[in-house]
Amino acid sequence: MSDELYACVCAAEFPAQALLRLRTELQSEPVAALEGRAPLETVCSLNRAAHLKGAVLGMTRLEAEGLAGVRLLARSVEVEAAARAVLLECVSQFSPRIEEVCMATTSAFVLDISGTGLLFGPPETLAQRLRAALTTAGFRASIAVSANFHVARLKAATSRAVTVIPEGQETTALAKLTLAALNLEENYAETFAIWGIRTLGELAALPEVDLIARLGQQARLWRDLARGVATHTFQPIEAEFTLKEFFDFETPVEEMDSLLFIGARMIDCLVTRASARALSLASLTVEMRLAGGRQHKRVIRPALPSVDRKFLLKLLQLEIAAHPPQAAVLSFTLTAEAGQSSKVQLGLFAPQTPEPSRLDVTIARLKAIAGEDRVGSPVLEDTHRSGSFRMESFSVSGVTAGSKASGPRMALRRMRPPVPVRVQLHTTTPAAFRDAEGNHEITAAYGPWRSASCWWSFVGWDEEEWDVLAQAGNGTTVALLLVQDRSKNEWRLEAYYD
Amino acid sequence: MPSAAALRIEIERALDRRFPAALTPVPRTIRETATTGVPEVDALLDGGLPVGAISEVTGPQSSGRTGLALSFLAQQTQDERVCAWVDAGDAFDPESAAASGVILRQLLWVRCQSPGGLAKGKPWTRLDQALRAIDLLLQAGGFAAIVLDLGDMAPDHGCQIPLATWFRFRQAADRTRCCLVVLGQAAYAQSSAAVVLECAPCKPHTAGGTVLNGFSFEVRRGRQRFTPAMQGTRKPPASTWSATSAWEAEERA
Repeated sequence: MSDELYACVCAAEFPAQALLRLRTELQSEPVAALEGRAPLETVCSLNRAAHLKGAVLGMTRLEAEGLAGVRLLARSVEVEAAARAVLLECVSQFSPRIEEVCMATTSAFVLDISGTGLLFGPPETLAQRLRAALTTAGFRASIAVSANFHVARLKAATSRAVTVIPEGQETTALAKLTLAALNLEENYAETFAIWGIRTLGELAALPEVDLIARLGQQARLWRDLARGVATHTFQPIEAEFTLKEFFDFETPVEEMDSLLFIGARMIDCLVTRASARALSLASLTVEMRLAGGRQHKRVIRPALPSVDRKFLLKLLQLEIAAHPPQAAVLSFTLTAEAGQSSKVQLGLFAPQTPEPSRLDVTIARLKAIAGEDRVGSPVLEDTHRSGSFRMESFSVSGVTAGSKASGPRMALRRMRPPVPVRVQLHTTTPAAFRDAEGNHEITAAYGPWRSASCWWSFVGWDEEEWDVLAQAGNGTTVALLLVQDRSKNEWRLEAYYD
Repeated sequence: MPSAAALRIEIERALDRRFPAALTPVPRTIRETATTGVPEVDALLDGGLPVGAISEVTGPQSSGRTGLALSFLAQQTQDERVCAWVDAGDAFDPESAAASGVILRQLLWVRCQSPGGLAKGKPWTRLDQALRAIDLLLQAGGFAAIVLDLGDMAPDHGCQIPLATWFRFRQAADRTRCCLVVLGQAAYAQSSAAVVLECAPCKPHTAGGTVLNGFSFEVRRGRQRFTPAMQGTRKPPASTWSATSAWEAEERA
């Protein structure tokens, strides 16, 4: 008894299936995929409903448009590449050894499933589970299981259901298949037709020596294939794990709802694929091809990797709302970076901090209200220039305790932008100043504090600061920070003490 | 003749169905407080600002409101807590905050602005942004303290905030155990505020007549809802406290 066992997964009419994978609302409707240059496009792939409506391969667009109810979509190589990656990802859950055997518009993979009985049960169970996984991923595929590589491949390509061929019954299982399954060259196919040989069973019954004498050594391979005894050296492919989804819109899309509708399905698919490997999504990259040939790219990085679909969709929505594309969208690509599933160790006595994923959404909403660069944590710049800081994104990771403050300090409240004022000097000390509200007498002035640097560059400064006490309009005393720009000889009110 | 206690029990029993424990004083809840970092103010407030409630710090310019709020945030951030500063007037000074001891990495700063990008645009637009930001932060939870800075907002605008908004903030702050500190020129939250502190400038401290190295401020307790039952003499409702300049503190250290 052979130790070998193969399962072939065959997704026929793959261009049409790839187009319909993310368009679930069209999956029950007749759909045909067109390829070629307009107006000479022809049908290259179609689903069963379209076939029942009378559509056939090679039909021109004009003929296909004449069929009532048949939806015509343009074939997309990128969509197919994304769908192939998903299909491969799906089948790789059942075996690490996979060989690709694609033919024309069929995407097929043969899995070496020998030794998987303890994991998935008998071959029938494995085949059913495999089919269920493919259906969940949005594919309709036929599956054949056999101890012979070619038998599994040929049977899967010609059937629509799950077939498990017991060992020793390969010839019988293939007997009714037509010779077209072997993809013979036209002259050989004609020869067999003249001989009256139409099925693999009839080919298998021919005497080997006489067949080779008439058609050459290649006839031995055909006969072995027909008998189900042809050998094959398995050439496994290395399945690259990329989380990428692509969608080509039929017409340019301007509404955000339409983008999110597709985005939600893409996120669903990406989360399912990442979860299958016990991973989470650490970042999402949105790329949109816009009308006019421009690209629009945004990157979303949650504080912690997540597989929460609603949370990721909310982040996507807020990101697109904050940075909407400047033209209609032609295609939408969502690429995810996988990360380890987030684990936050909470302490019984640790102070409460915001939940990272919820905080992400809150910050995105705050940015939508106040502005992109106006929400975050301030970081002081390494300079002596007064009031220099930059904003950085806020996160709760790495919250640490600091040294105890020694007491309250004088605090400034900045005027942004500073208010230009005219200052009256008494000798060298400010005595009064005038702003838009009127004249203000200065009762005391302390200073100056002089600072200057970067004279060699455009950002250089040469300033004098004065702490002054002035009378406010309501009679109270206000402590102000007046700054004189010595290079321009201008005064401005920078801040007040509070 | 029945004693007063027996009479009270009898009345309470009679009214029990409609008013449970009608004549028994309701036990007062002693609120958790968080220190402000200013001992004088903590003494005035019996421990500090109440946790899970709205506290208002009011006063004119240069009355020490910001210094007091920064001192409070410094205490919070140094205890590994996360805080937020919602800045309706875009007046927050990170240098002053760092000098006060605030760990800036643990501070979320929301700088409101007018739609045109100019920070000093229509006040109501910025106020609206600030209120929406407070709503979001309170709903998110996990912030130990949130400062709503309306310090430069004219009282006319601040008074337009509906009482329902303050009531909602009070409920949310209570639910998330967050100290919501409102800085303003006047008290706006009215009955929703647990504490109102009225600040006033007192006098500057100078060194040698040429250097301003600190301020004294006067602070008065305008309102306090959750005061525990006091026995004996009441504490004075006002106090003074001082803030020094950052360089002065460094020199002392």
